[in-house]
Amino acid sequence: MPGLGTTYGRGGATTAQQDLANADAILVMGSSMAENHPVGFQWVMEARERGAQVIHVDPRFTRTSAMADLWVPLRAGTDVAFLGGLVHHALEHDHVFRDYVVHYTNAATLLRDDLEDTEDLGGLFSGWDEERQAYDPETWLYRGAGIKRRPPEEGEEAEGQEPEAGGEAKDQGGEAQVLGDTERDPTLEHPRCVFQVLRRHFSRYTPEMVERTCGVPRDAFLRIAETFCSASGRERTGAICYAVGWTQHSTGVQIIRTAAILQLLLGNTGRPGGGVLALRGHASIQGSTDIPTLYDILPGYLPMPFLQADSHSLEHYVHHHRSESGWWTNFEKYAVSLLKAYYGEAATADNEFGFQWLPRVDGDHSHFGYWLEMADGKLEGLFVIGQNPAVGAANSGLQRSALAQLDWLVVRDLVETETASFWRDSPEVERGELVPEEIGTEVFLLPAAGHAEKEGSFTNTQRLLQWHEKAVEPPGDCRSEPWFVYHLGRLLQQKAADGRRRRDEPLRALTWDYPLEGEQQEPEVEAVLREINGWTVADGRLVSGFTELQADGSTACGCWIYSGVFPAEGENRAHSREPKGPYGHGWGFAWPADRRILYNRASADPEGRPWSERKRLVWWDEAARRWTGDDVPDFTTDKPPGYRPGDGTEGDDALGGDRPFIMQGDGLGWIWVATGLKDGPLPTHYEPLESVVDNPLYPIQVNPAADRMERPDNPYAAHRDPRYPYVLTTYRLTEHHTAGGMSRPLAHLAELQPELFCEISPQLARAIGAVHGGWATVTTPRGVLEARVQVTARMPPITVEGRTVHQVGLPYHWGSKGLVRGDIVNDLLALSEEPNVRIMETKGLVCDVRPGRRPRGRHAVPGDRPGRREVQR
Amino acid sequence: MSPPRTAGFLTDSTLCIGCKACEVACKEWNEVPEDGLLWSGLSYDNTCSLGASTWRHVKFVEQEPAVGHGGNDPDRLSWQFSSDVCKHCEVAGCLEACPTGAIVRTEMGGVFVQSDVCNGCGYCVVGCPFGVVAKREGDGRAFKCTFCYDRQKAGLEPACAKVCPTESILFGELDELRQRADERVAALHRAGMDDATLWDPRHTSVEGTHAIFVVRGDPRAYNLPPDPEVPTVHQRDGWRAAAVAAAGMAALAALAFLAGGGESGGATSS
Amino acid sequence: MSRWRSLDERERRLQALREEASPGADPAGPRGRTVDGEGVRPEGAPFPRASAATGYYGLPLLKEPQWTWEVPLYFFVGGAAGAAAVIGAASRLAGGGRSSAAGGGFGGELARDARWIATGGGALSGALLVADLGRPERFLHMLRVFKPQSPMSVGAWTLTAFSSAAAAATFADLVRHRYGSRLPVRVLGNAGDALAAATGLGMASYTGVLIGATVVPVWNRSVRVLPIHFAASGLASAVALLELAGHRHRALNRLGLAAAAVEVGTGAWHELQDVRALRPLKAGGSGAVVRSGGVLSGPVTLALRLLGARRAAAVAALAGSLLTRYGWMAAGRASARDPELPLQPGSGPLTNPS
Ligand SMILES: Nc1nc2c(c(=O)[nH]1)N[C@H]1C(S)=C(S)[C@@H](COP(=O)(O)OP(=O)(O)OC[C@H]3O[C@@H](n4cnc5c(=O)[nH]c(N)nc54)[C@H](O)[C@@H]3O)O[C@H]1N2
Ligand SMILES: Nc1nc2c(c(=O)[nH]1)N[C@H]1C(S)=C(S)[C@@H](COP(=O)(O)OP(=O)(O)OC[C@H]3O[C@@H](n4cnc5c(=O)[nH]c(N)nc54)[C@H](O)[C@@H]3O)O[C@H]1N2
Ligand code: SF4
Ligand code: SF4
Ligand code: SF4
Ligand code: SF4
Ligand code: SF4
Ligand SMILES: [Mo]
Repeated sequence: MPGLGTTYGRGGATTAQQDLANADAILVMGSSMAENHPVGFQWVMEARERGAQVIHVDPRFTRTSAMADLWVPLRAGTDVAFLGGLVHHALEHDHVFRDYVVHYTNAATLLRDDLEDTEDLGGLFSGWDEERQAYDPETWLYRGAGIKRRPPEEGEEAEGQEPEAGGEAKDQGGEAQVLGDTERDPTLEHPRCVFQVLRRHFSRYTPEMVERTCGVPRDAFLRIAETFCSASGRERTGAICYAVGWTQHSTGVQIIRTAAILQLLLGNTGRPGGGVLALRGHASIQGSTDIPTLYDILPGYLPMPFLQADSHSLEHYVHHHRSESGWWTNFEKYAVSLLKAYYGEAATADNEFGFQWLPRVDGDHSHFGYWLEMADGKLEGLFVIGQNPAVGAANSGLQRSALAQLDWLVVRDLVETETASFWRDSPEVERGELVPEEIGTEVFLLPAAGHAEKEGSFTNTQRLLQWHEKAVEPPGDCRSEPWFVYHLGRLLQQKAADGRRRRDEPLRALTWDYPLEGEQQEPEVEAVLREINGWTVADGRLVSGFTELQADGSTACGCWIYSGVFPAEGENRAHSREPKGPYGHGWGFAWPADRRILYNRASADPEGRPWSERKRLVWWDEAARRWTGDDVPDFTTDKPPGYRPGDGTEGDDALGGDRPFIMQGDGLGWIWVATGLKDGPLPTHYEPLESVVDNPLYPIQVNPAADRMERPDNPYAAHRDPRYPYVLTTYRLTEHHTAGGMSRPLAHLAELQPELFCEISPQLARAIGAVHGGWATVTTPRGVLEARVQVTARMPPITVEGRTVHQVGLPYHWGSKGLVRGDIVNDLLALSEEPNVRIMETKGLVCDVRPGRRPRGRHAVPGDRPGRREVQR
Repeated sequence: MSPPRTAGFLTDSTLCIGCKACEVACKEWNEVPEDGLLWSGLSYDNTCSLGASTWRHVKFVEQEPAVGHGGNDPDRLSWQFSSDVCKHCEVAGCLEACPTGAIVRTEMGGVFVQSDVCNGCGYCVVGCPFGVVAKREGDGRAFKCTFCYDRQKAGLEPACAKVCPTESILFGELDELRQRADERVAALHRAGMDDATLWDPRHTSVEGTHAIFVVRGDPRAYNLPPDPEVPTVHQRDGWRAAAVAAAGMAALAALAFLAGGGESGGATSS
Repeated sequence: MSRWRSLDERERRLQALREEASPGADPAGPRGRTVDGEGVRPEGAPFPRASAATGYYGLPLLKEPQWTWEVPLYFFVGGAAGAAAVIGAASRLAGGGRSSAAGGGFGGELARDARWIATGGGALSGALLVADLGRPERFLHMLRVFKPQSPMSVGAWTLTAFSSAAAAATFADLVRHRYGSRLPVRVLGNAGDALAAATGLGMASYTGVLIGATVVPVWNRSVRVLPIHFAASGLASAVALLELAGHRHRALNRLGLAAAAVEVGTGAWHELQDVRALRPLKAGGSGAVVRSGGVLSGPVTLALRLLGARRAAAVAALAGSLLTRYGWMAAGRASARDPELPLQPGSGPLTNPS
């Protein structure tokens, strides 16, 4: 989550759900929390009962809106404009918590004179490279800071042009920059200080502009702005909850950035009842970024080495990702300990601890990246484990057709998903576009053990590791993921045993020796957790936390941020179940170091005293000369508030006692993100890739850095395409789960929402002659589907620049299998990539709606395929 | 926890987020079968009513705007969620009606159908003023909420109340719940939700229920009847009329024959 | 009890929604009004709304009676059987009827045929109830307890007593035929006849209480009339059966006339009531059946009897009675479907809101 990572230093929710109860105002936006996080929502309800104002901003009136004190609909995909409006409001109506902002954020930091803002360049920042279609972030740097450039490759005399890791280490603040001793202006008056640049950047995000852009009436906006911004200062705090209503946009990361900036300005970070709560999705989806299933980061948010940029040697790699000051100075300790965990004995100082064995990123290997290669027949085989892209992934028609290009496909799931059965019952087969006899793909469907049939840990939305035991033995041939992955690895190692190819080396070197138990030969999962926690190589003693890790190869650790979860033999803290204190310490383990609220040093003033009694969390105990309080201090416990770094100090010592954001090179919350993001140091409103209006703020229509991946099988509507006059957004229903593999086969869930429906306003229904309970056909350039018509005032049309904009809503849970079936909503979506996290845009596109059912049978055209079109922005 | 002496439910729709966890938990715990896979077109409610195979039912009440804050939008519409259940009536029509004694009052005051005794006569179905109990197709016997008698015996609260994330379903001692309900309504009024009311029909022949509800707006919009009547109140009139009928028939018959006359020659047109 | 049981049923429901929704639908209807303007909350938006008036989306609060076709048929058979026993007993009291060939039995042939009807009817009634319950042993559950406050329980016991008494009497009569009339046989016969007559009175009338004392509005609003109505109906059919069996006793015609007269009365009473709850008796399919039943067993039978067309009257009375029972069952279902009635304030029996 780079939005949070670059601003605060860690890519995780800054707070815990329980802490929402302490808020004075809660803004839920880009999430229907009551519907998708019902259990966590109890603390929002608690806050409401305690008198907090609950605000929901969402195109639809949802179950969450029904619980809120204030709800306002906005046009899908205009969140940066809305939040920018809030930032503008906070700045102009001095809601800014000045003491906090001056001391704890980089608002006072001075920027370079050659920096140009979107105000100057009509929607672009300086550094845009038209030919590379990417930014060079040099001009974004702090004044006096330098950028690291990679040394020349062979045959290159000048040093490489592009900066290293142009955002690759996205979940750690500002890699690849040399801060130097930055100049600051505590008065915040200097025209080049971040505060003034910010003010100018958002100067046009006025209530009027918000109304023009989002369709939110001026007074409704001001009511919300006043309500939320007044939850600020010493006595009051406000929290923000978001989920994929924000992330799944071509500007997703910048939306979150705007919220993070707002929370810094209001002094709502690191304090009780404050923070930005990223509501994560699948159980342990947070875990799957901490110990990533992503292609471009390694466990603990260490960047994956890139072929071009930074991978010549371990020294080189470390040099470029280690920062001189702040916590990331320890980068080498974590990187080497990880390599030791991977390669054990084989990892020695002489062979750079096996660094050369790590794969290199040589292109876009995100889901969509390799899926397109698959579509073009460049992929041989695929493992799909616990995913159902034939339904869940954007442009699922393309997704399914691509599967037919594979030689083999392994699907491990609880049920036969549409992904496993694409070759016989997909819409493509129905339409005759795929003919089972002609599909060469060999499909292996392997039964998986469900979470109750295996033990392990979940890392939940608030970074909390919770252990779950095996309740029952998996039936029949069902096996756990650890079993599958372990034995697959074991067999590969056997094959590699006497292999001559280079790629056999890492396999041979890999430590793959987990104890096996039971007649299923199930690997012991706690052994994996022990490895994640880390130990000293010499005697295998478990380390008590990441502070013990060393760069000399004397320690091994599978994921440094989790270190401390297993501090001693038999002490699995993820398994602990004795909650104590207001934040439930003793129940599970929150990374890092069981800190429940991150950056909580900021809950005390620069002198270390709580900002107020009401909002106390951690503070400096002068008598004991240490930080103490209700939470584990997210700070060096014996570093006094008055500490000031001397010259030549490094790392954490280089940060003063009043610098709460310890991951950042300057210990400050980054209103301004100099490096780490590919689409700008400050958020800027761009229209969704498909939109029914011109960008009211800039001549540039869409996020320049976003990748449309446009091709004949992934076409887009032309800008303001008259054939697609309505805004389309998609979402979830409480009654189902995502692509439906876990809900459609279950009677007790399926019966609660048995059919796909589209939600449209009475006005739109009237305009197109669709009637409640009837059928409607929805089309985009990618696909067509039919759905029941749910006419409802919960999906109101909105007025943008005097024009009525109708929005159409579709829940996306249906497919061709299970007790209840329906058309696949993702057939409508385009495959696109937000620049930083490469996520698709599911929440704001255009469509057409007509009454009646869709065409059927062979060669029923899926939407229209206008082929390649000029990319307009 | 030891089972309450007089168990009750207080369902507070101002706290209900419509997650339907109660509905699902009930079915899971009691192994209630699926109840049809048909889309209703009525807001997000595809369950529509309580019945033999639905013992908890979350209503999605979309109506003209409700006043007050704390949820819902005065200018647009109001969307209330309310989880319905067997009322476990003080004077229970179903129990009164049951000819086999299959329906009994439990020691915690719940109304319980012993399915091994039920013979499917269906009389309870027309005895319930709330349309709760019904005969299950195929099986033929009547089913309804058991008040989780088995769980209560084991000192557990009912499954539906257990899973409710927002404590919209409160389970406990009925009198205490009634007290809490009054406090709650007062609090809601203070919070500006002056349309909040408590549904607790103690004034009728049902003499109160063990499931009471806090709702916003008119309870009738939630299909909560203002004056439910237990049908036994009709019996006095009924038996009186039956007596008249019997007496009349007996008298007529006697007279008809005593009046004598034997065979009539009357032409039998046929 | 799920919403609509079958796909087409659901489609019908949705069709109803659609018709209400589609532009140009009844402008008065709550959702019928067409939507203009861009207001966020359009007046009379074309989608279902819950309200105090229509209740929860107009979904019925009450459950329909789940009784199958056997039950109204049982009402008919049971009623006729009960009344027959009464007639038989009365004829014996009056000593009327041609004395049978064998001479001096329990009453004459009229009494014997009445006894046969009672016995057969009793047996058939049991069979019909078992059929409705599904399994024979389930009927025995009825006899676990006697619950005076449950008309169903009272009825079950009445039926049991009645059919055993009638059977005993018939048995006695057969025995008497073969082996002559000995004391125990006479005691059994007389006791049987007496008990059958007594419980027969119950058989003919209790079904009125059975459905009258329910939550079904059209039934409980008629609870004061139903027992009389059903008793008369039963009497008329018993008379009719005996007449069709060839009996010409004047008493039968008198009883037929009396029953028909009562039917005219009850029919009139219902027609004159203007209560929403009674609408199913006059409107829709149920109304048609109830009315034709009423006309046949009331005015038509009366007229035919006055004209002396006894066979025709008998047929009319039987048809009328049968229709009446099915009609009331249908009316009950329709009534339970009415979403608004149970939501009316004071919807109890004692007040009659219209
Ligand atoms: N019951 C249930 N719970 C779930 C899931 C499930 O499938 N079922 N899925 C889990 C997963 S994987 C995830 S990622 C989370 C997702 O949790 P959420 O993000 O809450 O899920 P969504 O319903 O996809 O989207 C939330 C809201 O975003 C709104 N929205 C759409 N477009 C926009 C926009 O442009 N701006 C704003 N502000 N809002 C917009 C939608 O109307 C919707 O109400 O839920 C998790 N929890
Ligand atoms: N239009 C639109 N599309 C979206 C979204 C949206 O909001 N709108 N949301 C996106 C988001 S946030 C997400 S997370 C994706 C989800 O999309 P997917 O992840 O593709 O969909 P799921 O149904 O969650 O797939 C999970 C599968 O894992 C299986 N499973 C469950 N437990 C186990 C296990 O222990 N082992 C194994 N091997 N399998 C298991 C389940 O049966 C299920 O089939 O959808 C994305 N797609
Ligand atoms: S399903 Fe699990 S994770 Fe999701 S809300 Fe319920 S309890 Fe929480
Ligand atoms: S609500 Fe109906 S089923 Fe429940 S106890 Fe009362 S009468 Fe019986
Ligand atoms: S159906 Fe069962 S429970 Fe209902 S009244 Fe008849 S016997 Fe009693
Ligand atoms: S009490 Fe038990 S049976 Fe009744 S609704 Fe709740 S869970 Fe279901
Ligand atoms: S579980 Fe609670 S919140 Fe969820 S629907 Fe049921 S009553 Fe409402
Ligand atoms: Mo997700």
